Amino acid sequence: MKKATLLVLTILLSLQFLTANSNSEANSVEGNVTIEMWTKEGDADGTLQWTKAKLEEFMAANPDITVELVKKTTVDELREDFQTASLAGDVPDLLWTVSDHAGPFLTADLIQSVDSFVDLSAYVETVVADGESWAVPMSSGNHLMLIYNKDLISTPPTTTDELIAMGQELTSGDNYGLVYNQTEAFWLVPWLGGFGGKVFAADGVTPTLDTPEMTATLQFLSDLKNKYKIVPQECDYNAADTLFKEGKAAMIINGDWSLGDYEKLFGDKLGVTRLPMVSSTQKWPMPYTAGIYFMIPKDIPSANAAAVGKLVSFFTSKEIQYEQVNDFNRFPGLLDAYDAPKISDNEILKGSAYQLQTGTPMPTVLEMRAVWDGIKPEMAQVFAENETPAEAVVAMQESAVAGIAAQK
Amino acid sequence: MSFEVVARSLTQIGTTLVLILLAFALVEAIIFVFYNKVLKVGDKSLTAMLLAPAIIGLLLLIVVPLIYEVVLSFSNMNLHHFKNPSFGLDMFFANIKRVFTTKILKTMTFWPLLLQTVLWTVIQVTFHVVLGLMLALILNSNIKLKGLYKAILILPWAMPPVISGLTWRGEFHAKYGFFNIILTKVFGDQAALPWMTDSFWNFVAMNITNIWMGVPFMMIICLGALQGVPVEYYEAAAMDGAGKSHRLFNLTIPLIKPVLAPSVMLGIIWTFNNFNVPYFINQFMLETSDILVTALYRAAFTYNQYGFAAAFALVIFFILFGISVVYMKKTGALKAIGD
Repeated sequence: MKKATLLVLTILLSLQFLTANSNSEANSVEGNVTIEMWTKEGDADGTLQWTKAKLEEFMAANPDITVELVKKTTVDELREDFQTASLAGDVPDLLWTVSDHAGPFLTADLIQSVDSFVDLSAYVETVVADGESWAVPMSSGNHLMLIYNKDLISTPPTTTDELIAMGQELTSGDNYGLVYNQTEAFWLVPWLGGFGGKVFAADGVTPTLDTPEMTATLQFLSDLKNKYKIVPQECDYNAADTLFKEGKAAMIINGDWSLGDYEKLFGDKLGVTRLPMVSSTQKWPMPYTAGIYFMIPKDIPSANAAAVGKLVSFFTSKEIQYEQVNDFNRFPGLLDAYDAPKISDNEILKGSAYQLQTGTPMPTVLEMRAVWDGIKPEMAQVFAENETPAEAVVAMQESAVAGIAAQK
Repeated sequence: MSFEVVARSLTQIGTTLVLILLAFALVEAIIFVFYNKVLKVGDKSLTAMLLAPAIIGLLLLIVVPLIYEVVLSFSNMNLHHFKNPSFGLDMFFANIKRVFTTKILKTMTFWPLLLQTVLWTVIQVTFHVVLGLMLALILNSNIKLKGLYKAILILPWAMPPVISGLTWRGEFHAKYGFFNIILTKVFGDQAALPWMTDSFWNFVAMNITNIWMGVPFMMIICLGALQGVPVEYYEAAAMDGAGKSHRLFNLTIPLIKPVLAPSVMLGIIWTFNNFNVPYFINQFMLETSDILVTALYRAAFTYNQYGFAAAFALVIFFILFGISVVYMKKTGALKAIGD
């Protein structure tokens, strides 16, 4: 019995020693801090590799801080994992993610105000709620624009009538005038703005999808496919991207995230401009603008919070922001970095900035999820001519209202 | 990967690993002491000590999440009540009531969705069993290159379902997919089918995909059962003048039924709960291609209705449980295990 008791006591003491030891290792031995950052950046366009390289620089300059980078494959995975981790009480110290995550994270009370970390007046517009700022902009934009192949068209269309006329000339066989992701509602929204519509009423949470503006938008997009036949019969993101890269599409509607990739492929043959004005309304399409943001989870240890502050300041420093512009054609989150020579000199960025002027901030409220899910299937039904636009807008509205009710 | 990265990773998991080992050692020591000193049945301590890791593992990985799921169904947990949800019997009844009375998807309520799921399951299991049995009968006969055919036919089952699902989705593309390329080459441009956007054709597309993925399993099960049927039975039946169909329905099928019945039950459960195919093939989120589990996924992870989704999951569990019990009683599946 004595031997057994001694054995149990020894094991318990070992456990206690090991636990205490591991905790101190994780947080602060001789002032060292380890922080964990989750990112949505991928390696296909080199942003993940770039982020890793910058982190190495940061750690070399701050030897007392170790940053562990965790890559999440998709933005949805990042959101879901963060929510689960928050429930388990094991959150990362910093999130590098998209602005629309602010809605769910704020509703669930998972992130903290960033006002005490940086001076937000030095940055572009951020996520503001209840008088506080909830994210630090790393980059801004994330907007759709018209990107074209100068080998196929010299002057891009400035109105939808011109777009249709040029598209018809350029479409034959396997070649198309225009390609875009027909599966996601994000690509519909700019045109809704061009027809004078919005997805929410003035209160920012009541969906307004069953409107004449939405009907006109759906009719226009359906006509591009079914009447004028200037876009493929079915086209998701990858199909559009491939057709454009292979030179089988003269124009593509895509976001600023794709510019770095296209620039490498097309060089000075790449043209970027605004989506053409809607001829019937004389209004410019209004793509959603957002960006990439740092969000800081609630209740992280104070030593980690200080390190997080340093890291955020490092990534939003003028130098790093310049690098981001130069390497990935992303607009800075820091206002001071807008004097980057590339923004004024580079034709691609000038075109992107020209489009940004008509952009509108993407709502970050939780209700937006229900709106996206309401639009997507009905849009597909209109494109397939299974529904008329008038029928689709009613179904969209019903769906969005039901989705929002379910979230309560 | 540099040595430094490997060393750092090992250090990170090393502590956890050592802690787990120590925890197990502690549990084993307690069991040893308990059996020897308290119960005074030292000869049984080895059995308990060997079983302990498996029991603890099952408790942590299966029982605890299941209990947590049941607990969640008694809550109003969603993003608005994320950290401090309320729990109570009234919440549970409200969640259950919602499952049956309100829209589960955007416009669809529970009953049409259940009907859709049953239709999907019946079609799938029928095709899996019929095609699986046919292929097994062919492979069980005297044909050349049997090994090669077996290897090819088992491939769909060996592939990760997510990869298969995404690959098949590509094959249903309106212009660049295999099916429409063949159809337009043979019958002209007008023959292309809207696999992704039309409700009916999307349902057909997901059925084709899952038949391809599910037949190999049933084929292997049937083949194994067929190989256990003595050849003498067929010889005797042939001598009595029994034809091929007579032998199939009155000899083969009854003899392989003890193996087939539990496999069909597994097939029903897996198909009813199949998430990958309906989710990946339904690129446009058509409600007509949703089944109960995809609707559950959307409720839980798109709309973050955790309490409601947990109650919904319980309802699905009891439906499947009921189907399984009735099926077992009718067919005698798992009877041998019971005996």
